[in-house]
Amino acid sequence: MTTLVNRAPQDTRGNWKTYLGLVVVLLISAFPVYWMFVIATSTDAAVSQIPPSVIPGGQLFKNLHEVFTMQDVYFAASLINSVIVSGVITAATLFFCSLAGFAFAKLRFPARNALMFVVVLTLTVPNQLGVVALYILMGKIGWNGTLLAVIAPGLVSAFGVFYMRQFIAHAVPDELVESARIDGATTMRIYWSIVVPAIRPALAVLGLLTFVMAWNDFQWPLITLNGTDFPTSMVALSDLASGNYVIYRRVLAGAFAATVPLMVLLLIGGRQIVRGIMEGAVKS
Amino acid sequence: MSLTQLRPSPQHSAPPVQQSRAKLWLYRFDTRATPYVFIAPFFVLFAIFGLFPIVYNAVVSLRTWRLDEPDKDGWAGFANFTKLLTDSDFWNALYNTFGIFLLSTVPQLLLALIVANLLNRKLRGQTWWRIGILLPYLTPVVASTLVFSVFFARDNGMANWFLSLVGFGQEQPLDWRADKWSSWIAIATMVNWKWIGYNALLYLSAMQTIPKDVYEAAAVDGAGPWRQLWRITVPMIQPVVVFTVILSTIGGLQLFNEPMMFDQNPQSASGGSAHQFQTIAQLIYKVGWKDLNLGYAAAMSWALFLIILIVAGINAGLTKRIGGDR
Amino acid sequence: MKRLGKATAAAGLAAALALTGCSGQKLEGGDKGGSGTVTLKVAFWGDMGLDKLKAEYEAAHPNVKIVLNSGEYNAQHEDLQKKLVAGTGAPDISAIDEGFIVQFRSQADKFVNLMDKGGADYQSKYLPWKWQESMSPDGKQIGLGTDVGGLAMCYRSDLFKKAGLPTDRDAVSKLWPTWGDFINVGKQYVSKTGKKFVDSGTNMFNPVLAQQPVGFFDTGDKLQMDGGPKVAFDISMKAIDAGLSANLASFQPNWDQGFKKDQFAVLACPAWMIGHIQDTAPDQAGKWDIAAIPGGGGNWGGSWWTVPSQGKNIDAAVDFVKWMVAPEQQIEVFKTVGNLPSQPDLYKDPAVLDYKKEFMSNAPTGQIFAATAAGLKPQYLGKKAGPTRVAVEDVITQVQQGKLKSADAWAVAVKDAEKAANS
Repeated sequence: MTTLVNRAPQDTRGNWKTYLGLVVVLLISAFPVYWMFVIATSTDAAVSQIPPSVIPGGQLFKNLHEVFTMQDVYFAASLINSVIVSGVITAATLFFCSLAGFAFAKLRFPARNALMFVVVLTLTVPNQLGVVALYILMGKIGWNGTLLAVIAPGLVSAFGVFYMRQFIAHAVPDELVESARIDGATTMRIYWSIVVPAIRPALAVLGLLTFVMAWNDFQWPLITLNGTDFPTSMVALSDLASGNYVIYRRVLAGAFAATVPLMVLLLIGGRQIVRGIMEGAVKS
Repeated sequence: MSLTQLRPSPQHSAPPVQQSRAKLWLYRFDTRATPYVFIAPFFVLFAIFGLFPIVYNAVVSLRTWRLDEPDKDGWAGFANFTKLLTDSDFWNALYNTFGIFLLSTVPQLLLALIVANLLNRKLRGQTWWRIGILLPYLTPVVASTLVFSVFFARDNGMANWFLSLVGFGQEQPLDWRADKWSSWIAIATMVNWKWIGYNALLYLSAMQTIPKDVYEAAAVDGAGPWRQLWRITVPMIQPVVVFTVILSTIGGLQLFNEPMMFDQNPQSASGGSAHQFQTIAQLIYKVGWKDLNLGYAAAMSWALFLIILIVAGINAGLTKRIGGDR
Repeated sequence: MKRLGKATAAAGLAAALALTGCSGQKLEGGDKGGSGTVTLKVAFWGDMGLDKLKAEYEAAHPNVKIVLNSGEYNAQHEDLQKKLVAGTGAPDISAIDEGFIVQFRSQADKFVNLMDKGGADYQSKYLPWKWQESMSPDGKQIGLGTDVGGLAMCYRSDLFKKAGLPTDRDAVSKLWPTWGDFINVGKQYVSKTGKKFVDSGTNMFNPVLAQQPVGFFDTGDKLQMDGGPKVAFDISMKAIDAGLSANLASFQPNWDQGFKKDQFAVLACPAWMIGHIQDTAPDQAGKWDIAAIPGGGGNWGGSWWTVPSQGKNIDAAVDFVKWMVAPEQQIEVFKTVGNLPSQPDLYKDPAVLDYKKEFMSNAPTGQIFAATAAGLKPQYLGKKAGPTRVAVEDVITQVQQGKLKSADAWAVAVKDAEKAANS
């Protein structure tokens, strides 16, 4: 029996095959994270238990207490700092990248393609010395050891510009832009009234991914914030592993605590994605 | 149209000709200059924070700079680059990098498309599924590599335990780190686990803006959801697919965290006892910070950059060709 | 929603700037604040008993403020290296471990030469090999030693009993005066119990190498594989061929498991390993004991206090370092965290002599480790000792993994060592 499918997938109900696939995916995605949680709530022995222990222990609060009271780690402060850093970076990124992405996607100007190419190019440069060079630069500006040093380089990203450009290219019809132009709208007006509503799901996604990327960033914050009283979460997490050997339950408890804010954000952001998409769907 | 509409109302104090000239000037400025204003923040920030490290790296690559032999510091020209050609470690690392890259990127993106398709339905508990697939991406690198390090451990690792359940490796448990094929699979698994959800989300957000009439118009007789995915949905989100291909290429060829943490001795950056899984980025790190040869490490970075450019370009071209030009 | 976005961004930026302003102040605050207050930043890892020392020193010197920065072992050394390259941001005082000392002494110009600060007086106080290890080729002394690991052979007395071997530590020490004897004991053990004897071949290679008169490099920095390295390599190959090695990499989860699953019965252990054994296998209290290491002496680990030259408070930093390595403070640290001092005079101190570790069947760890550290002869470590060692260790691991036959391994080791030495 052949199925005539002419309904958009987003309008079709998921069938049992869909749910089965999703459950498998979810299990694979979540199991390592769940196991992390199990170790974070257990004693030292659980790390290398075979068959693997899958039942959480009762030590979560004890382990977390150790994490938050460990001297010189400033774990609680690091979480707050990460919120600030990631928040500012995300807000700035969403704004600047969508502006630039819109320009590259829908506006005509000389050297547009060449400049876009340069943007993508900046993503490709690998740099083992980059961190040191940036540190020297920050030293001259005097921002080393402050949150500004971590925020400033991240305010707009090539990844964001590239993503916005791709998304706007196919999600905003040229005709809409043209007709708005004819009606006398300024570019900024077109941006606010036409582009932004159309790219809401993309904004939600980019916002989420940028926040997570900034939160989990490790290399650069480590060199510039090491030893200060204002680390970010990943720097503090690295400090947890100090000593000649790693106390896994503590490190993983810290990792768990550092991931919770992200999960909360995901919960909130998840709704936004759904809502944004619904509105987008109604419009079209 | 009535002529009266063109005449400005008498209340206007400003002379009509000058006002429309100002408007015209504004319009011209808006169309010509605003695009540059919009893209300026990126380039300004890049010029400040991104350019200096790149120039620094370039200069260092042309010098001899060895931290343990400061008296040898000086201009080297292209000596560091020619050294690459005969360095067996470099070619080995290149081979490893490509092998792991293929094992990770190709299945990763294909699976991401399938997962996105699964999510692109009317589902109960939408939000929870989306959270679920993003969990790997949220996990800090420190934690996930630790988890996988234990997972792929030789003696009591979970991976070997699973294998033993299907009767594999009874005599001797598999040492995942010992060979190229096993270490590549392990690392590719770690990478895929982390990034499939991320890419699926990007695809999903694009899929959900595909207008419904496209599907209605393209009603294909006898086409099941599988056909629909590959014939209609994927081509419609081609720009985003190209985007992920380019990004995965760039990220995959620069793979660093996973091979570093998979090493039994994290201080050595060997990439395995016989450099089985040493990637180029790892080798650059080892040459720079363990062998203390910063000049050579910088030169290797540039070699990697060139390789990424070429491969990303090829991949982008291929993907565009497959999906039809847009 | 758009307005919300703008407002949030603005608020966020404002908050960030305010906070970064604060954090900026906190950093420079100390020096610019009160007149003559000196802030010293100390970087290290783990617990070196510094909390107590800091409190004492600050009480005695009101114009000095000490900021402690403990981090992860590898990360701290890497951070120091990067800050030295950058020319700014290095701590006022940095601990450097034995595993990294060669790397940093090659960059002696980036550290204060302690010989210029009265360091010559200290030479006679230290174990000769400890003093040498932190000296640059041209005679600059970058660090004053704090602790040493020493090296003894920890063994499981309960497993020895099962294998019909003696369990008293003196008797066990007599079992293996040489490494050849050690391997024979191992063969006995394996045939009796069917389990492995040592944790890894590399943990045999390194102690043996350290006992040789010449290591990887001679004093002219030429690679000399056929001397000490060959002796050490042959012994580790013999051990692997006899099936003695459990092929576990130190400090990995596998290795921790190995303790609990009785996968090895002996372990080359420095003083600081005891704490690790205790934390990993607390239920094995009283099952471990310590015997002498074959070959007489040894050392694994230990650190120095160094003063990077880019600091702003060099003299204050040097004063603090000198205070920390003074006998009273070293004994105090020994009492608090068990780190063994590196000044032989202190080994006669009752605190060290009389100390007994209950977990290790009441072994007099102070005495034992002090003797092994003192018994070690100085060995020159070449500039490329680090990468060369890694290269040879990798070959040993390959043999253990079954990728290489022990008969062929030496040629590969020589080749890889030459490559590393010329890298």
